Amino acid sequence: MRRGVGAGAIAKKKLAEAKYKERGTVLAEDQIVQMSKQLETFKSNLEEFASKHKQEIRKNSQFRVQFQEMCATIGVDPLASGKGFWSEMLGVGDFYYELGVQIIEVCLALKHRNGGLITLDELHQRVLKGRGKYAQDVSQDDLIRAIKKLKVMGSGFGMIPVGGSYLVQSVPAELNMDHTVVLQQAEKKGYVTVSEIKDVLKWEKERACHVLDHLLKEGLAWLDSQAAGEPQYWLPALFSELSSRDVTPEEVNQMTP
Amino acid sequence: MSFEWPWQYNFPPFFTLQPNADTRQKQLAAWCSLALSYCRHHKLYTLDVMEAQESPMFNNKKIERKLSIEAIQIVFEELRKKGNLEWLDKNKSRCLVMWRRPEEWGKLIYQWVSKNGMLNSVFTLYELSNGDDTQDEEFHGLEEWMLLRSLQALQTDGRAEIITMDDGKGVKFF
Repeated sequence: MRRGVGAGAIAKKKLAEAKYKERGTVLAEDQIVQMSKQLETFKSNLEEFASKHKQEIRKNSQFRVQFQEMCATIGVDPLASGKGFWSEMLGVGDFYYELGVQIIEVCLALKHRNGGLITLDELHQRVLKGRGKYAQDVSQDDLIRAIKKLKVMGSGFGMIPVGGSYLVQSVPAELNMDHTVVLQQAEKKGYVTVSEIKDVLKWEKERACHVLDHLLKEGLAWLDSQAAGEPQYWLPALFSELSSRDVTPEEVNQMTP
Repeated sequence: MSFEWPWQYNFPPFFTLQPNADTRQKQLAAWCSLALSYCRHHKLYTLDVMEAQESPMFNNKKIERKLSIEAIQIVFEELRKKGNLEWLDKNKSRCLVMWRRPEEWGKLIYQWVSKNGMLNSVFTLYELSNGDDTQDEEFHGLEEWMLLRSLQALQTDGRAEIITMDDGKGVKFF
């Protein structure tokens, strides 16, 4: 009887396929083990962060509330044990993870001043300061990457291009294109007026006022009605004098949850 | 040592009462803090509202901004609610500023007295606030009304007794 070239070959092929499949399964297992190790690291880093700040979290209820609010914003429950929310997240390198945590710290500490908006420059300055002399250097590009990762984890973080750099937004204030454009306009002098918006952006008065009102409501802008001519809307985030000032103990006491 | 102004002091909108409630809350808290710190630094115990409006405390000439009378009244009302201010007249034109509360002063004075082994001695009020011995103490120069309240606080605590003497008041510490 003539055996089809096929039969043996097919059997062989099937056997080879089976072997490849098994190999494939083995590879996947490898990956899983790798990922588990990484997740363990993330988890312990987060736990370390929480424990490092446990004192403040315990001592200062305002800090505690804000800390948790901020973490909730990015979908993190830092004080829960075990169950890994972080297991959902992959691909976050240790360096960027730690940097992200640092960025959150800085933004949290300054939120009461600037409403959750900070220039990339100031953020960079403060992150570097916080890292100390011997830590690995951090560039603005690093910050941008870290913020992008934070963005991926949930709403809250955003970057608004202004004057060649960025404003980093750390609270989920609803900012649409109109708001963004006005922020960009304000970046030049740290404040903006209705007339300027009308002149430069060619908007109607109502549209300008609507946007400015929103910025006031979100705590991103303050009103100055003693300016010569017409009221000015100032953004603490763009107030250059502010960027060099540390948070004083008085300010800490003033922070509203 | 010169007075350190908080960042808000050079921020023009700080001198405008903010329309947004949350922002206004932060603003008022910062003003209260500034007012108390300023008074503490300059050892001011009473304020006249009209004068205050022209003082550097509420008037930043450099940026040409100042708090309105209305806003000052609101800040003062906040301070009053927190127990740091008392009106001297119905018209609310003058007030007492307690950047340190009587209890806190009482504690300081008592500490000094006991540290110097002078419990059970009698002091005149003048000795305490203006005596040579107290030159270096924070309570040196304390105005009489505040000194009295501080001693009254100690008295309530049973740690002092205010005595009326021929030419004024005195106090004995236990």
